[in-house]
Amino acid sequence: MKFLSVFFSVSVLTLLSSGCTTVVIDEYRRSTGELAMGDSVVILGRRHSSDYETEPDLIDCVGKTLHNPKAGVNVIPERQFVDALYPWFEPRTAPMHIKSLDRLMDIPDVRDRMEKYGVKYIVWIDGSTETTSSAGSIGCSIGTAGAGCFGFGTWDKESDYEASVWDFRDQELSGKISADAQGTSYMPAIVVPIPLIARVQNNACKGMAAQLQEFLLPPQSASR
Amino acid sequence: MNRMFNGIGALRKLTLFATAILMTACAHTVSVDGEFPAPVGNPHPLTVGVYLSDDFSDFTYSENRDDRDEWNINTGRAQKNLFETVLGSMFTETINLAQYPTNLPKGLDLVIVPEVRELQFTMPRETRVNIFEVWIKYDMHAYNQQGDAVAEWVITAYGKTPTAFLKSQEAALAQAINVALRDAGATLYTGFERVPELQAFIDNKQRALSMKQTGGNE
Repeated sequence: MKFLSVFFSVSVLTLLSSGCTTVVIDEYRRSTGELAMGDSVVILGRRHSSDYETEPDLIDCVGKTLHNPKAGVNVIPERQFVDALYPWFEPRTAPMHIKSLDRLMDIPDVRDRMEKYGVKYIVWIDGSTETTSSAGSIGCSIGTAGAGCFGFGTWDKESDYEASVWDFRDQELSGKISADAQGTSYMPAIVVPIPLIARVQNNACKGMAAQLQEFLLPPQSASR
Repeated sequence: MNRMFNGIGALRKLTLFATAILMTACAHTVSVDGEFPAPVGNPHPLTVGVYLSDDFSDFTYSENRDDRDEWNINTGRAQKNLFETVLGSMFTETINLAQYPTNLPKGLDLVIVPEVRELQFTMPRETRVNIFEVWIKYDMHAYNQQGDAVAEWVITAYGKTPTAFLKSQEAALAQAINVALRDAGATLYTGFERVPELQAFIDNKQRALSMKQTGGNE
């Protein structure tokens, strides 16, 4: 019974506590948001770099957080869009500049599908989350008297993402949003390891999604 | 005496069994089974036969080096799906051929025969980058109805997975191969008319079609 209560306390502590994260969002805006009812937004990850890849789960997180049809934001899932327009948005073939969209729109089937989806904005997110440093050690042992872990571990994570917002209909760059997040996670272990995880990527995702909503909607509806 | 022979036999069997277990302990088997979307675009005005040999459709890459574990990677079914899907959308008519070069149906402009030339991969512990990477190289052959070579070109494909976190090595590698196959499909689709011989072939066909159309109108 005593073991159960300790286990319960540790679980609650784990759920309630997490490492600290700081998120800095910067915005560069060239035009005001013009997202209207029936318009769609596509959020895509850049995957052309050889040493990192914008994580699909980050793109998924931003898309799901931003998707809010009641507020007028309809997000097409990345996988669905990329499959529907295969092979024009693959890492090798995806347009790197907004001017390259012209060439793509010369293909009638591609133009038709984009119009069918009602795409107004294409948001390209480029960046990644990395573990920058780690320290400490935890040792676990098992014996006849029982098992347990002792020690302390800590690690830092950094997220660095930039979102370029392309206005597909007007064929222009609407602006850019950057999200830099940093956080330190801790794992003290006194018999049971207690992870205090800093949700760096998740916080960068939420910060970016909130800023994107403000960015894409017209000024009066963004405040809703 | 008989009992002693029985004992030696049992010991020999046990040794063989233990050796077999040790030898297979480090062997990895990956079977890639991908589905790919049909490309969007204008089909080329050609009737094309596609021959995917048994070697291609059942392709398995096997590697057993001293500095690596043993790997057996079957990409046959996935690459068969890919080539049938992509080539099936690239031309006005595509016919999958069960055999080549005999018994060809009439009216084919081209017969396309792909072959795997090379497959390479790296693991995170080898590159110290936390990604799995795969390279695949295909030799592509295009023949006319008479069996003469029209064009030969190479397709290179690259795929990577961000990380193997919470995945087995086999699952991560299969995912990287699927990304590489998508890339191969993209290169095949977008690069076809950049091959000079094929560009000339398509131009000739288009010219012949427009002349036929003009003649029909007169």
